[in-house]
Amino acid sequence: MKSLAHYRVMASVGVSMMLHDKAKLAGTILGVIFAVVLGVQQVSILLGLLAKNTMFIENAGADLWIVPPGTRQLQPGALMFDSVVSRARTVPGVGLAEPLLFGSGTIQKPEGGSEPVTLIGTRLPSRLGGPWSMVAGDPSAISQPHTVIFEDAEREKYGQLDIGSVRELNGRQVRAGGFTWGLLPFGPGYAFAEIDLAREITGTPSNRMNFVLVKVRPGQDVREVQRALALRVPEQLVLEREDFARSVVITLLKEQLGASFATSTSFGLIIGFVIVALSMFSSVLDNLREFGTLKAIGCTNFDLALLLFCQATFYGLAGSLIGLALASQAAEGIRSPGLVPIIPKIFYAGVPLLMVGICLMASLLALSRIRKLEPGMVFR
Amino acid sequence: MNTSVRARNLTKVYGEGDVAYHALRGVDLEVRTGEFMMLAGPSGSGKTTLLSIIGCVLSATSGELSLFGDDVAKLSASKLPEIRLQKMGFIFQGHNLIASLSARDNVAIVLRLQGVGVKEALRRADEMLAKVGLGDKTRSLSNELSGGQRQRVAIARALAPSPPLILADEPTAALDAQSGLIVTELLRKLSRDEGHTVVVVTHDSRIFHLADRMVHIEDGRITDNGAEAA
Repeated sequence: MKSLAHYRVMASVGVSMMLHDKAKLAGTILGVIFAVVLGVQQVSILLGLLAKNTMFIENAGADLWIVPPGTRQLQPGALMFDSVVSRARTVPGVGLAEPLLFGSGTIQKPEGGSEPVTLIGTRLPSRLGGPWSMVAGDPSAISQPHTVIFEDAEREKYGQLDIGSVRELNGRQVRAGGFTWGLLPFGPGYAFAEIDLAREITGTPSNRMNFVLVKVRPGQDVREVQRALALRVPEQLVLEREDFARSVVITLLKEQLGASFATSTSFGLIIGFVIVALSMFSSVLDNLREFGTLKAIGCTNFDLALLLFCQATFYGLAGSLIGLALASQAAEGIRSPGLVPIIPKIFYAGVPLLMVGICLMASLLALSRIRKLEPGMVFR
Repeated sequence: MNTSVRARNLTKVYGEGDVAYHALRGVDLEVRTGEFMMLAGPSGSGKTTLLSIIGCVLSATSGELSLFGDDVAKLSASKLPEIRLQKMGFIFQGHNLIASLSARDNVAIVLRLQGVGVKEALRRADEMLAKVGLGDKTRSLSNELSGGQRQRVAIARALAPSPPLILADEPTAALDAQSGLIVTELLRKLSRDEGHTVVVVTHDSRIFHLADRMVHIEDGRITDNGAEAA
């Protein structure tokens, strides 16, 4: 068994060899940086897009969602009758059960033209379903007649909309009562109104709705209430908030986003892997005689593997840290109400580990060359 | 006198069948402990092959080799690097220094691999570099040194751990006549001071006179086992 000091020697030789060829060092680290920036950016945008699609579910304030059967995404489907709300309210453990309307509208711009909006109708005074993330005005403004809360990022689109501005929405005059920030799903921005106004605007019968939002009484078991609700409204589907959000994510990943983002992220990682592998391999070829000398003077394949692994670890760590810093800056740069890239905190530990792993794998190509190296070559 | 190296009927064949090349054809050789022996012969005579087999970096096709009384054939392949590290010092034709390391680090590396502490290894490296006349070049990289100076660093690296056997392959090949002579004299003096056994492969006739014994090899056979110098 060799001593720790022995391994430190190999590590220090590895580092000195790596630092000696500065062009190759820079090229290899750039490869890792490229892979990290591309990979992290893709994943952060994907997470941001997924969050856009689940933000409503997560911020609506409901523990349980009663949705039409077969619902996998937050899209308006078949309308429900009022009786669903009434029956839900009779279930023990239910604190609040409120209707939610998801409709589409068209806002007329003063200078001509129109823009689509996703009109959300929520019941006062609970306002289960929003609005939230207010940047101007108060959410309770929707209690005022003909008042709608719009998305701040869409103000220009709607013709320099301000609080108090009046616009025509589906042919009805409404007043802007406030603005939210970042409530932009994939489709048109959200606009919030009291449910009766929303029904009026969208032409929905007054006893119909798209979803029923349920808030469970404090101390009640959500799953038990979910089971009881399922028995009470058997013709509908009762989903727990996290399950619904997960279903949306899974559907999006399976049907739309997953393959595309997985391809681009994998592409970045593969390029990083190839750059590191080729760079380390070429470095070994450049220094073949030195590796042969080390073998001749008594280093084993394991010693030289350790040397390469130290280099690979350095490449992985240095490239990851720089790459993460750049990706964070880039994420901040592209942050907008339309898209908020999300870099989870775990990435700051996970990405360096992943890249070190990839660099270690990439070093195996170089190691295979070293393993084949005969120490006798130094005498030729 | 003890024997450091004993080779009996060593053969080495590269390739097989019609393309087989017989580099060694039954070599018998003994190198006594403390001897400064030179192995000379024309190109392709098998001298470097013989040195490689003695240095345990190449295995013989047949025959016996014992180093310091141990039969090399009985040693496992995984043991050979340890033998090289602990018992041999190598001086190569092209000096083979690690370009990224300073002269002192090049010398210290073998000591450190042997388990000597960093400070002690560097102290001994500096001491050895001073002995080869490079006391003021300890921090120089190899590309900052002349060919002769590099070969001196290589000598210091081989001698610093004080191995019982030193193997040198054409140590003067890349040097001018004067430098070659100086380097070989230095190697002879230092190894003699420490009692090292030295085998030098060379075809540089200008340094033959420094050998305790000249062995000639031709076409894979020892043609002259050499007379011991007076």
